[in-house]
Amino acid sequence: MKDKISMRQAGIIALLIIFSNKILLLPALMHEYIKADAIFAIIMLFAIEFLAVPIFLKLRRTFPQEKLYDILKRYITVFGAKLLYLASMVFMIFKALLVFSIVYVYLKEQIYQNEFVWIALISFIPIMNHAVMSGLKPTARTMELFFGVLIAGFVFCLVISFFTPISTPYFFVSSAKDIFASIYKYAFTFGDSLFLFLIIDKIDYKPKEEKKFYFYVFFGMILVVALFFLFYCKYQLTSFMHNNALADLLVFSVRFNAIGRLDIVAMLTIMLSSLFQMEIFCYGFCDSFINVLPLDKKYAIVLFDIIFLILYYIFIGKYEIMVKSTVTWLPVLGVIMGYVFPIACFIFTFLKRRKKDEKSD
Amino acid sequence: MSYFNLQEKIEEFKMLLNDSIDFAHRYFEKEGQKVAMIFLKSITDQELLSDSIYMPMQMYQGSLSIENLQNEIIKCSDITEIEEEKIINEILGGKIILLTDFSDKIIAVDLYKFPTRQPTEPPTSPVIQGPREGFVEDLQTNITLIRRRLKSKNLVIKSLQIGSQSQTKIAVTYLKDVANDYIVNKVVKKLKKIKIDGIIDSYYILSFLEEHPNSLFKQVGNAEKPDIVTAKMLEGKVAIIVDNSPIVLTVPFAIIEDLQNSNDYYTNHHYSSIIRVIRLLGLLIAILAPGFYLSLQIFHYNILPLNFLITIADTTLGLPFTPFIEIAFIFLLFQILYEVSLRLPSYLGLATSVVGALILGDTGVKAGLISPPGVIIVALAKIALYTVPEQASQITVLQIVFLILGGSLGIMGIMAGMVYVVNYLNKLDSFDTPYLAPYSPRIPRDLKDAILTNSIIEMDELPKSYSPKKEKRK
Repeated sequence: MKDKISMRQAGIIALLIIFSNKILLLPALMHEYIKADAIFAIIMLFAIEFLAVPIFLKLRRTFPQEKLYDILKRYITVFGAKLLYLASMVFMIFKALLVFSIVYVYLKEQIYQNEFVWIALISFIPIMNHAVMSGLKPTARTMELFFGVLIAGFVFCLVISFFTPISTPYFFVSSAKDIFASIYKYAFTFGDSLFLFLIIDKIDYKPKEEKKFYFYVFFGMILVVALFFLFYCKYQLTSFMHNNALADLLVFSVRFNAIGRLDIVAMLTIMLSSLFQMEIFCYGFCDSFINVLPLDKKYAIVLFDIIFLILYYIFIGKYEIMVKSTVTWLPVLGVIMGYVFPIACFIFTFLKRRKKDEKSD
Repeated sequence: MSYFNLQEKIEEFKMLLNDSIDFAHRYFEKEGQKVAMIFLKSITDQELLSDSIYMPMQMYQGSLSIENLQNEIIKCSDITEIEEEKIINEILGGKIILLTDFSDKIIAVDLYKFPTRQPTEPPTSPVIQGPREGFVEDLQTNITLIRRRLKSKNLVIKSLQIGSQSQTKIAVTYLKDVANDYIVNKVVKKLKKIKIDGIIDSYYILSFLEEHPNSLFKQVGNAEKPDIVTAKMLEGKVAIIVDNSPIVLTVPFAIIEDLQNSNDYYTNHHYSSIIRVIRLLGLLIAILAPGFYLSLQIFHYNILPLNFLITIADTTLGLPFTPFIEIAFIFLLFQILYEVSLRLPSYLGLATSVVGALILGDTGVKAGLISPPGVIIVALAKIALYTVPEQASQITVLQIVFLILGGSLGIMGIMAGMVYVVNYLNKLDSFDTPYLAPYSPRIPRDLKDAILTNSIIEMDELPKSYSPKKEKRK
C-alpha cells in the first residue's frame, strides 16, 4: 500500500495522458485532412479509448496485486511479454518525442527565438529523469498538486475564446471514408491508456472509487473535445493554419480589460502539461525496460536519454519528418499498443474467469 | 564515616570537579554528630539551603539521623537517597549532597536554581489577540506551561538525558490517547541513538530527528509558544522540549504548518483564510519573483504588456550590467544589508537600513548602475519572504536557484524547477506524514484547516495526516 498511488492520482494521470499530443498541433492537422469533421473522428477515437478504461479496471479486479508482466507471461509466454514491453518502450519514447517536438516548436515560435534547443533539453530531461528516480508515488502526487492549476489554465483558455467572435463551424463536409481513414491516420496520438496497464500493480485499487476514475477520464475527453470545437468555431476554414490550438484560442483576446496579456496562461498550462506528459512517457519507457532486461532503473534512464537525444537529432531538426511519421508508420504501433493490447487484456480476464469456473465445477 | 573521612571525601569531590571556583561545602555539627553539605553555589539556591536545611537542623531538638533528616528536618519536597558513584552527577545537576559521619547513606536535595527569564512573548511569534506567554530556557518552566494548558491524565512526559558532556535533559511529551505509538517510539528511539558531546539548543537534535538530514527543507516543526505546542499535541504530534532552549520541536511536520499562525485561530476564520492565501502568495512571490522578472527581461519581453515593457526599457536603458548581473547584484546587496542589520545593535542596524535602503538604493539608481524595477522586484521578494518567516532560510536558497533558472533557461526553466522542487518535496515524509499534505496527496478531512480554514466548530476531526489514534476531537 505504501508505494501505491490512489485512484484519484491514477485518474489525474489518465487525464494528463488524454491531453498528450492533442492540445496543440492535432486540431490543425486533422482539420487539414477532414475539416471540422475532425470532431467526429476524435469523438470516435475517444470512444474506443474510453473502452480501455473498463477493461483496465476489470483486469485490475481479476488479477489483484499482479504485475502486468506476470499476467502477460502467463498467457503469451515470457518471450511474448518481453516483445510487448519492447514495443511499449518504442511507443513511449516516440510519444515523448512527439510531445517534445510539438512543444519545442510552439515555445520557439512564441518566446524563445534562438538557442532554444539546449534550453528545452536542459529543462525537460532532468525533470523526466528525476521523476523516474523518485518513483511513481511522488510524481503522481506532484501531478495531483498542480492538477487544479493546470485545469484552471485550460478552462480559462476555453472560456476566453468566447470573448472573441465565434460561429459554428461547417460540419459534414468530409466523407465517412475520410473520417474513418483519419481515425487510423491519427491513431498514434491516441491509445495512451497503455500507460495505465503498465502501472496496474501500483494503484491502490478501491472499488468505491471507480466512479472517480471514470470521472477524470471523461472530464479529460470532454475538455479536449471542447477545445477542438471552440478552436474550429474560432478559426473556421483557416484552422489548419493555426498549429497551437490551446494557445491560439487566446489570440485576438490577449488583452482582457485591465489584466493585460493573457497568452502567458496558455503558455504556462502547455509547459506544465507537457512536462508531466514527458514524465509519464519516460516512466513508461523505463518501467518497460526493466521488464525486458532485469536491470536497475538507472540504466533505463541512461538508455532513454541516449535514444531520446539520438532521435531528437534525427527528427527535431526535421520537424516535418516527425509529424509525417505520426501519420505513416507510427499509427501501426498506436493501433497495436493503444487498441489491440487492451482487447488482448480483456481476453485474458475472460480466460481467467473460464479457468476459475472450470475449477469450481 | 568519621569526621576526617568526611573531609577527605570533600577534598576528593573537589578534585573531581577540578577545584572549581563555585564548589562549596558547609559543615554542621550538633552533639558530636556531623553533617557535610556539598554543592555548586553557581546553580544552587543558597537562601533555600539556609532556610530549608541549615536552619531546621539547628532548630531540631532531637538527635540527628538519616531518617529524621529525610522525614522531619529538611523542608524540601525533592529529597532522594543516592549511591556514592552518582554524587558528582547530582552535584552537577544542582543538588545539595548531604554526607554524615553517623550513616553511610547519602542524601541529595534538589535546590537547583539558575537565572531564568519570565515567559514573555517571544519576538518571533507576536500575536494581536491571544496568549502571550512564550517558552523560556528552563525545562521545568516549559513543562509547567504545557501542563497548565493540558490538565489531562493522558499527558505523558518522558525524560531523557543526551550529551556526554552537557548531560542535557530532554522531555518527550505527547497525549497518549491521541499520538500514534509508532511515532512516539520512533522519536524516542532516534533520541536515544544520539551520540554527541553537548546539546546547546534544541536545533542540535533537529538533524538527528529528520529522516532526510541533508535536505534543504526542514522536517521538524518548532514553536516558541506553549499554546501552539499544546494545539499541535492535541492534533497527535509529539513535542520535544530541550533544557536550555526556548524552542520546542514537534513531529510529524507538514509544510502547511508554516503557513498557519496562532493568530489565525484567535480571529474570524474567513479573515484567517484570506490571510493564509496572502501568505501563500507571499511565499510564491518570494521564491519566483526575481527569477520570473529576469526571464521576462531576458527571454520573453514580447509577452510583457506594452506599457510595462516601455517602462522597463526606459529604466534599463544604458545600464552597464546584463539583467542577470544587475538582479544578482541587488540581491546580494539586500542579503548583505540583512545580515548586517541582524548582527549589529539595534541603533546601528537602523542606521545601516537607512544607508542601505536610501543611500545605496537611491544612489545606485541615480548613478545608472541598477534599475528601479529591479530594486522593486528584489525588495518585494525579500519582504514577501517574511510572510512565512519559519521558511526564510529555505526560501532564500530557492530564490537563488530560481534566479539562476530564470536567467539561464527562462520561464521553461522556472516551470521545470517548480515541478522538480515539488516532486522532491513529495519524496520527503516526516514520520510517515506527507510533506505537502493535505494537498499532495489530497486528504479531504484535513482541508478544513489548510489554506482555507473552517470555523473551530467544524474542525471536529483530528487531522488524518498525522495518523492520530482517534478520529474525533472530544
